[in-house]
Amino acid sequence: MSFYEARNLYFSYQQKKVLDGVDIAIPEGSIVSLLGANGAGKSTLMKILLGLLSPDRGEVILEGKNLSEYSIKKRAEHIAYVPQSTKIVFAFSALQIVLMGRIAFEAWFAKASSEHDKQLCYAAMERLGIVHLAERNYQTLSGGEKQLVLIARALAQGAKILVMDEPISGLDYGNQLRLLEAILTLSKEGYTFLKSTHFPEHALMLEGQTYAIKDGKILASGDTKSVVTQELINTLYQTDITLFTTHFGYKTCVPNFLNQHI
Amino acid sequence: MVKTSLLFTVALILLIASFFASLCMGRYEIDFSTLAHFLGWKWLDIGAMPRDATLLSNILFDIRLPRIVAVILVGAALAVSGGAFQAMFVNPLVSPGILGVLAGSSFGAALGIMISDSWIGVQLFSFAFGFLAVMCALLIARIYGKNAPTTILLVLGGVISSALFSALLSLVKYMADPYNKLPAIVYWLMGSFSAVDMKTLLNVSVPLALSMIVLSLMGKYLNILSLGDDDAKALGVRVGLVRNTAILLATLLSALTVVVAGMIGWVGLIIPHIARFMVGADNRVMLPMCLLLGGIFLLWVDTLCRTVLSVEIPVGIVTALVGIPIFVFALKNAKKGFA
Repeated sequence: MSFYEARNLYFSYQQKKVLDGVDIAIPEGSIVSLLGANGAGKSTLMKILLGLLSPDRGEVILEGKNLSEYSIKKRAEHIAYVPQSTKIVFAFSALQIVLMGRIAFEAWFAKASSEHDKQLCYAAMERLGIVHLAERNYQTLSGGEKQLVLIARALAQGAKILVMDEPISGLDYGNQLRLLEAILTLSKEGYTFLKSTHFPEHALMLEGQTYAIKDGKILASGDTKSVVTQELINTLYQTDITLFTTHFGYKTCVPNFLNQHI
Repeated sequence: MVKTSLLFTVALILLIASFFASLCMGRYEIDFSTLAHFLGWKWLDIGAMPRDATLLSNILFDIRLPRIVAVILVGAALAVSGGAFQAMFVNPLVSPGILGVLAGSSFGAALGIMISDSWIGVQLFSFAFGFLAVMCALLIARIYGKNAPTTILLVLGGVISSALFSALLSLVKYMADPYNKLPAIVYWLMGSFSAVDMKTLLNVSVPLALSMIVLSLMGKYLNILSLGDDDAKALGVRVGLVRNTAILLATLLSALTVVVAGMIGWVGLIIPHIARFMVGADNRVMLPMCLLLGGIFLLWVDTLCRTVLSVEIPVGIVTALVGIPIFVFALKNAKKGFA
């Protein structure tokens, strides 16, 4: 039985075709990276997989059942969305943001955030090492801290699948690495990740699987190590790079304009 | 948390104190010991009957009490509906009129004044057109709102609907009899509590109180709406249901305030800012705080209106004059994200 997959997705905004027959299968506990240029259809695909958009044609299957058959609450128990650090107009504390992951599961007239929910939220923040941010105003946090708070919210929500829209963009180098490390750690604990990224190297670091999208079609998919090749990167992004393998096996992209002697 | 409950206690005490202070104030001044003596005799059967009991009873119970209760309810209603609209539109500059309810109610009231002579007729027209204007806004948003950002469409729908009913209001004013009806319309649009009677108060108090309570209880869902639609849906919240319920209740509140007292601006815009400044953005505590502060604020403004000059000043004018400096001060916090 498939864990989480989409079959034959078609989607268009007015006249513009965005997804043109996309299939994707996400095994339990895997890290799946979506690669593709801006406007290739990554975000649309993720929104359909989250159930936020309905495809014109095709279906999303979660644990053997069509996603549209899940109630919105049930869906949230399985899949969590980690947006690019959400802009929040009002001054909520980090803890309040994490607590919002629990609200759908509280009764309508329940007393404000039970102790049980608070414990869950603190536990989620503890795992990501951000308990010290609990009382800070979310708006004043750095990009990396915000992203970790949003991941903590997803964990508090109780979902085992985390869908992340370009979680790395906008973070400084140190925060990028810390976030990648957090994803790897959580993946070992059994969480499933689907994330879009602008950096082929990040997909290579996380290994797992990769889907490359171009013009609404899957250009290549499968095991990251074999899928993400120099040719694929150059085709996807219309670049001219060389993919080097360092002596301990780690691959890295070098643009050819820096590298005239090869 | 201790701080929050302390603030609530202080606000509640302030409201009660303001209530009694306002009862004493007016053209016929009653000092506090007279009031205490009278109320003690009337309610608790303590002491002797005061000399001027009939006069006091008349002034306090027939004139001042209905007005003061109406002022507190209207102030609270405007503040709560403003706070709820701000949360659901994720915009701290939103006021209760955002979807056109105030423009619609004003037009309805003006139309009512022009074509009917009964007070209840004016009230019904005002209420009905307030709702109609919001329906127009929602309908306009719905026409285009398939896969588009809903809040922006709603705001645009509100702008269009407000413009439509403002134009219609001008038309009614232009056609109204300039000696008799036009002044009544203009005066109504400035907002006033001088016409409040017990019957109106009894009719509106239950729906006002219920809507405010339910909106406050919805606070946690409103919190989630302020994350944006996609986030909220992914967190398992039925965004459409929550937003429509909140719009319905907030519209009911605003329309009823126009029914009671005409157009009163600024309360719904500034009180949520002050409440948020005091207790934070969490709508579960912010909205109840709006309720208390809105009541206190409008009570003092109205008390000023009826005591400062020998003629009564329309309350809408004073809320604007007092509200503007407060708002300028509140903007100081804008950089910090409307703390």
